[in-house]
Amino acid sequence: MIKFFKSLPYHTKTALKSIARHLALTFSSASAVSVTLTLLMVFLVLAGNVSSFTYSIEDSLQIYATIEDTVSEEEISVLQSEIEAMDHVVNVTFSDKEQELENYIGNNEDEASQRLFEAYSGEGNPLKNAFIIEVDSGNNLEEVSAALQEREEILEAAYGGDSVIMLVRAMDGIRIAGGIFVIALSVLAIFLISNTIKSAIYSRNNEISIMRNVGATNGFIKMPFMIEGMVIGMIGAIVPILITLFGYSYLYNALNGVLLISMFKMQPVIPFAIYVSVALLATGMIVGMLGSFFAVNKYLRWKR
Amino acid sequence: MILLENVSKSYKNGVNALKNISLYIDEGEFVYIIGPTGSGKSTLIKLLDGEEIPDEGKVVVANTDVGSLKHKHVPLYRRNLGIVFQDYRLLPSLTVFENIAFAMECIGEDKLTIRRRVREVLELVSLEDKAKSFPNELSGGQQQRVTIGRAIANHPKVLIADEPTGNLDPEMSKEIMELLEKINEKEKTTIVMVTHDSTIVNNIKKRTIALEEGYIVADIKKGGYLKND
Repeated sequence: MIKFFKSLPYHTKTALKSIARHLALTFSSASAVSVTLTLLMVFLVLAGNVSSFTYSIEDSLQIYATIEDTVSEEEISVLQSEIEAMDHVVNVTFSDKEQELENYIGNNEDEASQRLFEAYSGEGNPLKNAFIIEVDSGNNLEEVSAALQEREEILEAAYGGDSVIMLVRAMDGIRIAGGIFVIALSVLAIFLISNTIKSAIYSRNNEISIMRNVGATNGFIKMPFMIEGMVIGMIGAIVPILITLFGYSYLYNALNGVLLISMFKMQPVIPFAIYVSVALLATGMIVGMLGSFFAVNKYLRWKR
Repeated sequence: MILLENVSKSYKNGVNALKNISLYIDEGEFVYIIGPTGSGKSTLIKLLDGEEIPDEGKVVVANTDVGSLKHKHVPLYRRNLGIVFQDYRLLPSLTVFENIAFAMECIGEDKLTIRRRVREVLELVSLEDKAKSFPNELSGGQQQRVTIGRAIANHPKVLIADEPTGNLDPEMSKEIMELLEKINEKEKTTIVMVTHDSTIVNNIKKRTIALEEGYIVADIKKGGYLKND
C-alpha cells in the first residue's frame, strides 16, 4: 500500500506525459466523452426539474378539516398540538371563521357578491373554524384524513378525494419513469464512454505487450492508463459542466425560475447546477478510470 | 544458467515446433542458435522468456521453472532477462532515454540510479547524442542498439537476442556483434543469440546450436556454420 502511494506521482507524471504526447487521441476521446455527458446532463436537468414540479404539486395538496362549533378555543389549541403530533403531519394552521369568510369573499371577483357575503360576518357566520393540515407525502393524505375524521371534534376532513389520489399516483409515476430514464441513459453513457476509452487504448495494445516484455507488472502497466482514463473523463466533463452552470442559470433567469405557470417551479441554480456538475465530473472520471482498467486488463490477457 | 529437459512444444494448429529438446547453457556463455525458418528457433526463445509454456519437459532459467509461472509472475521473472527483439519493440511515445529508463522504473529503481545507469548504457551502445530522440527518428541500427541498451539496463543474468542483426546491413551487424561481445565480456552476461546470418557465425566463432524441424541436429562447441546444409 505504501508502495502504491509512493508510485502515484510517477504514474501520474507518466499518464500526463502520455496524454500530452497522444494529444490528438486525447482530444478525440475527450470530445466523445463530452458529447455523451452533455446528453446525460440534459436529461439530468429535465428529470431533476420534473421531479421538483411533481413535489411542488404534491406539497400544495392539503387536508381541510372543519371543526365542530361546540369546541372551545382552549380545546382547539390542544387539538392543534395533538394533530401536529400525528404521524405524517408536517404543519397545522388554524384558520377561524372570520378568516375563512374573508378568504371566501376574496375568491369572488365582483363587488356585488363580495358585499353580499360581507353581511355574514360576525355572529351569523355560517362557516366553521378550520385546520389546514400539510402532510409529508401525497400518499399519506388518505390515511391522515381518515384518522382526523374519526375524531369527535372534527366535523369533516377533506382532501379532494379520489382525483387527488390519482394525481399523486400520476406524480409518483412520472418520477419513477424519469428515474428509470436517467438510469438507462447513465448506463448508455457509461457504455459509450468506456468504449471510447477502450478504442483509444486499443491503438496502444502493442505498448502493453512491450511493457510486459520489459518486466513491468500488470499493476504497473495499468496505473498510468487508469489515470489517463480519469483525466480524459475529466477533460470531457469540462464543456458539459460549463454548459450546465451558465446555460442553466441563463435559462433560470430568462424564465424567472418557473416553467409556464408558477406551479412549475424550476430547481434553483444553486445548488442544483452544482449537483449536476459534480455528477457529470464524477461520471466522467470514474467511468474513464474503470473503462481503461477493463480495457488494459483485456489486452494484458492477450499475451503471456 | 539455462536448462531444458526433454522439452516438447506443439501449437494448436498441429505444428510440432520443438521435439524432445535437452540443452544446457552455462553462466557467461555466448551461444548462437541457428537453423532455417520453421526449425523452432522462435519457439525456443518464447519458451525461454515465458511467452509460451512447454507441453512436456522443463525449462529452467536462472533457477526459475519458467513453464509453471503464473500469468502475473511472468514479468517479474523477465527482470532476470534482457530480450532483444528483431522488430525492436520500443515504446513509440517515449524517448530513447525514457525507453531505457522504463525497464528500470518497472522494477522500482530510484531516479538517481536510473539516470546514472541510463547514461552508462547509452555510452555503451554509443547513443549519448540520441537520448532525447524518439524511436521513429532513429535508423534501424540505432533502434536496435536502444533495444540492446534497454535489455542490459537491469544487469540481466541472461540476454536473449532474436536475430538482432536481421534487419541490418553487414557494417551495422558488425557493430552490433561487437557490442554484444563487449556486454558478454564486461558484464559477464550469458547471451543466447538466434541468427541465420552465416557470415557472423563463421567469423565470430562461438558455441553454435543448430535446430532443424524441432530437433537439435548439432551442438558445436568450437563454433562455425554447418557445412552440409
